[in-house]
Amino acid sequence: MKRRIYFSFIIILFFSFGNGEEWAVKKSSENLVKFISDAPIEDFEGVTNDIDGYIYWEGENLLHKSQLYFEVNLNTIDTGIGLRNRHMRENYLETDKFPITYFKGTLIKAERVDETHYKVAARGKMFIHGVEQPKTIVGLIEKTTDHLNISSKFEIKLSDYHIKIPSLMFYKIDETMRLILDFHCSTRTDPNK
Amino acid sequence: MKTLLTFILILFVIQLAWAQPPHIHWKKRKTVPIIDLQLFHSTQVVNLPTVETIRKGEFEFEISHRFIPPLDQKGAFLGIDGPVNMRIALAYGITDRLLINLGRSNREDNLDLRLKYKLFWFRHKTFPFSIAVRAGTAWTTQVTGGHRSNSRNFQYYGQIIFNTLLFKKLGMGIVPSYLYNSHIYCQEIQTTTTLGSYMQYYLNTIWSLYIEMNNTMNGYRHSNDAVSLGFEIETGGHFFKIFLTNSQMLNPSQFLAGADLGYFASGSTKNWRIGFNITRILKF
Repeated sequence: MKRRIYFSFIIILFFSFGNGEEWAVKKSSENLVKFISDAPIEDFEGVTNDIDGYIYWEGENLLHKSQLYFEVNLNTIDTGIGLRNRHMRENYLETDKFPITYFKGTLIKAERVDETHYKVAARGKMFIHGVEQPKTIVGLIEKTTDHLNISSKFEIKLSDYHIKIPSLMFYKIDETMRLILDFHCSTRTDPNK
Repeated sequence: MKTLLTFILILFVIQLAWAQPPHIHWKKRKTVPIIDLQLFHSTQVVNLPTVETIRKGEFEFEISHRFIPPLDQKGAFLGIDGPVNMRIALAYGITDRLLINLGRSNREDNLDLRLKYKLFWFRHKTFPFSIAVRAGTAWTTQVTGGHRSNSRNFQYYGQIIFNTLLFKKLGMGIVPSYLYNSHIYCQEIQTTTTLGSYMQYYLNTIWSLYIEMNNTMNGYRHSNDAVSLGFEIETGGHFFKIFLTNSQMLNPSQFLAGADLGYFASGSTKNWRIGFNITRILKF
């Protein structure tokens, strides 16, 4: 009897001190957040590496108690031309009021593709320009013992976030903006984080 | 045995506590990167400079015209038939705050080389302001009499630029300037001190209106002080400025010495002419 109780005790202890994994964005890595906007004469791209946040789950199953939150500082987006950056910040994104954009949610799909890769989908809320909208994003996670790489491509509609579309001659841009994300995370114990 | 069971029960409670939403260690950063204060949108209003520079590694190409015939000159189609004074220039951002600019005006084939440095800015909700200095030299290469390399064909100028932007709409600037060797043909070397001022009202993200004056305070001056007023259209990389002016000069060493036409001639528009500046930011 005593042996059973001790065994139960060990099992409880094991699960009590959880096996949750928290991965935070590794700032020293070559992270990429890129948005691409189509314009009649020239497409333009905005790029930043200033992404921060975390992803969390428990156990082997990525869906178990998963949480994720990632934010991008919009003041750091570089379109290649300072004046255009300023236009984007002041006229359209209004970064003095809304400097951060974020996505927070949970994983709703995690399909193992091979030893290290998972096709995932996350459902949650996307916040841009003071407006929060429900959003589902698909992506790919590459996971090794001490490294996590997350990549994703998706689109947003500017009017959903009350962003005015500039319209003057050739400067009119498409209402749909494409986003490409590719960034790296490490566990909290990683000294390079 | 009873104690052991109680202990296990406590562990169950702990287990339940751990089953609550996990405690995330990641912390939101408290500081966000600060961007340089930018008040005016372009690097100059008409002829007078603003504090603004372009970013390190960027180029700014400029082409500007001043149609010499006044608006009501017969057969000149508001002066647009010309002739014109024209300036072509290329600026380069050495750093985010230091700008070098090389330009040429066809008016006496005047070459202009200048540097602008953004010195200081002060963030304030109602009264933000920034200060820059600009210095340059000009070389008149098409001269009547004498050799063009004569030192009298070189002119020098310095300017301090104060800018503010009220209500995020109304840009204002004051530009005290000093010009050495104001007129290359005067027997004695002349100097000019002027006080430039301008206002620009940003109607929306694209359109703005402005007025610019450059009053001579001391020293040599052509017939009148220079005045210009007009509108500006901006896109993400271009500025189109179209205006009326009483000055036909483009390079600072020529402009600072005064304007040829009077702007308050009563009952007539004959003392104004049309001009435009077009600039484009380039990145290679």
